[in-house]
Amino acid sequence: MHRVLTTCCFCACGCNLYLEVEAGKIIGVIPSREHPVARGNLCLKGWNSFGFVHHKDRLQYPLIRRKKHLVEANWEEALDLVAKRLLEIKERHGGRSLGVFSSAKCTNEENYLLMKFARAALKTNNVDHCARLCHSPSVIGLNNAFGSGAMTNSISELANAEVILVTGSNTTEQHPQIARFIFDALAKGAKLIVVDPRRIPLSRFAHVYLQPRLGTDVIWLNGMMKIILDEGLLDETFIKMRTENFRAFTEILRKFDLKQVEAVSGISVEDLERAARMYAGVKRAAIIYSMGITQHVSGTDNVQSIANLAMLTGHVEREFTGVGPLRGQNNVQGACDMGALPGTLSGYQDIASEEIRKKFERVWKTDLPSDRGLTGIDMLHSVGDKKIQGMFIMGENPALSHPDLKATRAALEDLEFLVVSDIFLTETAEFADVVLPAASFAEKDGTVTSTERRIQRIRRAIPPVGESKPDQQIICELASRMNYSMHYESSAEVMEEIAMLTPIYGGVYYDRLDKGWGLFWPCTNPDHPGTPFLHKGSFARGKGRFEYVVYRPPAEMPDDTYPFYLTTGRIYPHWHTGSMSRRIAALSRERPEAFVEINPKDAKRLGVANNKPVRVISRRGEITVKVRLTDDVPENTIFIPFHFREAPANILTHDKCDPGADIPEFKVCAVRLERVQ
Amino acid sequence: MPDELILNKEHLTGFLRKIANERELIAPVKNQYGDTLFEIVSCVDDVSLDLESRPVVPPKNFFLPRTEILFNYRHEGKEYRFEEALPDISRVLFGLRSCDLWAILFFDVVFQENFKDRYYLNRRSNTILINIGCHKPMQNCFCKSAQSGPFLAYGYDLQFTDMGDRFFVEIGRPGGRELVEKWDYFFEPVTQKDRNEQYEIVLEAESGFERIVDFDTAVSRFINDEVDEALWEELGNRCQGCGGCAYVCPTCYCFDIADRPVSDSKGERVRTHDACTLAGFTRLAGGYNPRHERRRRIRRRFYHKLAFAKERYHRPSCVGCGRCVEICFGRIDMIHFIRTVCEQPGKAMKASLRLGEILLDAGLISKEELKAALEKQADTGKPIGAQLIEDGVITKEDVARALGIQLGIP
Ligand code: SF4
Ligand code: SF4
Ligand code: SF4
Repeated sequence: MHRVLTTCCFCACGCNLYLEVEAGKIIGVIPSREHPVARGNLCLKGWNSFGFVHHKDRLQYPLIRRKKHLVEANWEEALDLVAKRLLEIKERHGGRSLGVFSSAKCTNEENYLLMKFARAALKTNNVDHCARLCHSPSVIGLNNAFGSGAMTNSISELANAEVILVTGSNTTEQHPQIARFIFDALAKGAKLIVVDPRRIPLSRFAHVYLQPRLGTDVIWLNGMMKIILDEGLLDETFIKMRTENFRAFTEILRKFDLKQVEAVSGISVEDLERAARMYAGVKRAAIIYSMGITQHVSGTDNVQSIANLAMLTGHVEREFTGVGPLRGQNNVQGACDMGALPGTLSGYQDIASEEIRKKFERVWKTDLPSDRGLTGIDMLHSVGDKKIQGMFIMGENPALSHPDLKATRAALEDLEFLVVSDIFLTETAEFADVVLPAASFAEKDGTVTSTERRIQRIRRAIPPVGESKPDQQIICELASRMNYSMHYESSAEVMEEIAMLTPIYGGVYYDRLDKGWGLFWPCTNPDHPGTPFLHKGSFARGKGRFEYVVYRPPAEMPDDTYPFYLTTGRIYPHWHTGSMSRRIAALSRERPEAFVEINPKDAKRLGVANNKPVRVISRRGEITVKVRLTDDVPENTIFIPFHFREAPANILTHDKCDPGADIPEFKVCAVRLERVQ
Repeated sequence: MPDELILNKEHLTGFLRKIANERELIAPVKNQYGDTLFEIVSCVDDVSLDLESRPVVPPKNFFLPRTEILFNYRHEGKEYRFEEALPDISRVLFGLRSCDLWAILFFDVVFQENFKDRYYLNRRSNTILINIGCHKPMQNCFCKSAQSGPFLAYGYDLQFTDMGDRFFVEIGRPGGRELVEKWDYFFEPVTQKDRNEQYEIVLEAESGFERIVDFDTAVSRFINDEVDEALWEELGNRCQGCGGCAYVCPTCYCFDIADRPVSDSKGERVRTHDACTLAGFTRLAGGYNPRHERRRRIRRRFYHKLAFAKERYHRPSCVGCGRCVEICFGRIDMIHFIRTVCEQPGKAMKASLRLGEILLDAGLISKEELKAALEKQADTGKPIGAQLIEDGVITKEDVARALGIQLGIP
């Protein structure tokens, strides 16, 4: 038996763990004790992260659709076909008719290569990935305010904060290790403020718990800032030295009517005052937020408001403070960093800039398209004008994770050609013309970047299962069949190219990563030590920018026909579309089936009982799912996790998006409930 | 061959090299990342042994692996064929801590008490255990309170005491004697001075504990049902169900057995570690969970470690290794728990609460409902179950079901 240190494949906490290998199989994992985030323990997902690797459903060979059915094929045949079809479409309709989904579950190197493949070989900037669905508003909102869209501080700093404000993040369930640091802070006497429409487990430890109505974040955030302004709790020196546009901001804020807070959000002004004083009254206060803030039509506004709040009180640019958007997937930060986005190349370098393009063109030896590409939502949700004809989807599962699934699936169905690479035959792969079997995290080398911008290694512990191949290899083999040569000896060589072209990764080399526990970007040259917290002494964009935000309600509100709010999300034992977690016995045993959380009072009115099925209907479709009674959701609000293919919550959600970030409003839509006879 | 010997430190590598040539040698190794793990050491000269810190996971994984194939199966037509995968390997575990070794002795009892677990026993009977007494207890070690260390009086094959430039070696069981006799040229006789020095080291180690806890009081409070419900509530809220406390505990032995198909016609029956803090651990077929609330599961965990083990094996099964103390997501740990229980005022509950407790445990009634029924019962004089049924809180079927489950009737 031997052990291989790697990074957990589930969430972006980025725990390091040892895979235990015996006779070519992974038989267990051991957490690293020295790793600064894992600290000797893993969440249940991490402890069982090896459980899907040898599952019998693993894709072992390529599949090609023949007479409506996916049948076994060999690699030559499959890759030749993919290359041929993609080239045909490109010739007939141009590169802009092709689209690529990269993957927040794949490595930095793979994301870099796929976006290179899209731009250099397919000649399209239509490349995106699931950050669109989770933190695109953070990337834009925090970039506007601070000049960088990532977590400002490192995870372990939380333990020394005096006040922690958690909003729109069910931290104990989605980022267990971050919650662990919050518990450490509490043990040292820190105060906790939780603001969440659902009474999440952490709220039981909150010194102030606020329960706003769904989609009213701008209101309570503005209210809180108004209180801070009125009571003079702001950090004037900080504002003067480090920010801009404050005067214009306060002119409007001063007129904000606190009465609105209770009317719109349901939070009483007294409670909000307690929270405001608590947050503003200390030196070291941090904000943690996640998709409860971003998955709204006002997602970018919500993020800007959070940035406003942090700047108003000077709680940023210092150790143990900051604004922390908690990224979900193990490498969603990295996939963004690598430029798997329609408008930026790796390191957030603008594709529209000629100078930047030139730099890449010199190394990539080809011309690049200069117009911004389509977002993931636009690629699949603008069926009418037939923009996208062919797609390459690497390790993503929009047929379960995108909003308004009927429309999404129709769009996938409509594609002239779809190729999917994945480790299992996902709901999306079922629509594919060619399915390529990919290697899992245990079977390849590479790096991933955690939510705290920590770049870490994943290491190959076993050879690829069956005939599967690492995505890196798949992309390169495909490129060479499309007359564009991409050849690398190793993932380390890919990283060398990334470092050369990407200033924030300029000092990232494998030999450095192997010593210690990775590097925090920005790490601009081989001697740069990395940056655990951003904006030290000055914001990345120079000065932090205040921008007043006017409240906009959610796109679809409950009415007489659809009287309930539906909010969707995740639960502790499962991971996104469940393709891995539901195949792990210990995880699937925790929550084998879908459920809808309903307040007992609503249940009584409707005459539905615990554990009994109920029909949930929205304007888009309906699902049947079992009831779980709980006071954790307020009246008139239901919660459904989106992991379960038998009862896909996203049949119900709509595809109205934030205008800037193009993120759909997964957190609010209107539904009605019907008893199943 | 006398029972006590001296091994000069310069001969340790030589001794271990000899062992590694003949058997699989397992020892605590500090790797390049700074983590100490029990590793299979094929070449002693290539690794850096770490005899100063506690390996991340206990040695139990070598006796009860995280995943273990019990047998392979194949079906052809109607016929099933089985192929047992019995382990058969001779090992020496070197550098165990006393607590971890004591935990193995506890496993020895558990894995042959009801039926003899051949997988465990095969591995165990082929393994020689060498522990190293803890001359410097670490922070969060409390084996002294648990009476499983820092040095052992029996149970080891060999016990080492670190005396600076040499080890004082005590021979316990035949396996140890065999090793020493085979390579006797590494060893020297002990002098009275060595004995005195070793005695001093043991004494000093005994007084070096930062953590002292009172197991007896905690156990008796438990057995007398004197643990405040509010504590369970608090711990239930803190536990996040990671399973870590069980996975790292040297005396947690719960496992799950499942069939894992490899293809349409082949499969494996596998045994994996399980954890009692998980909801799925206690959920029965059909979805009913007698301990559906987290606080019930946490209670069960501590009950099992302390009171149950005491009643069954005459001592708690916690060996005080301190592993669960450092890793909990909600900062729950054995030391803190025992201290809290010992500190709280004794609150004896009446024996008549038993059925109420069972129903409460099963999540069929709430505390408030139980309280109300108990008050009414005082007037009506009816049994508590009848009272609850009369009040419409539960049905007869509920009671029967809950009782059936409690008594182990499917
Ligand atoms: S907290 Fe996240 S990274 Fe850590 S073990 Fe759990 S899923 Fe993996
Ligand atoms: S380590 Fe803590 S959080 Fe994890 S299962 Fe045990 S008690 Fe619960
Ligand atoms: S309960 Fe904790 S301290 Fe006791 S033996 Fe288990 S892991 Fe060690």
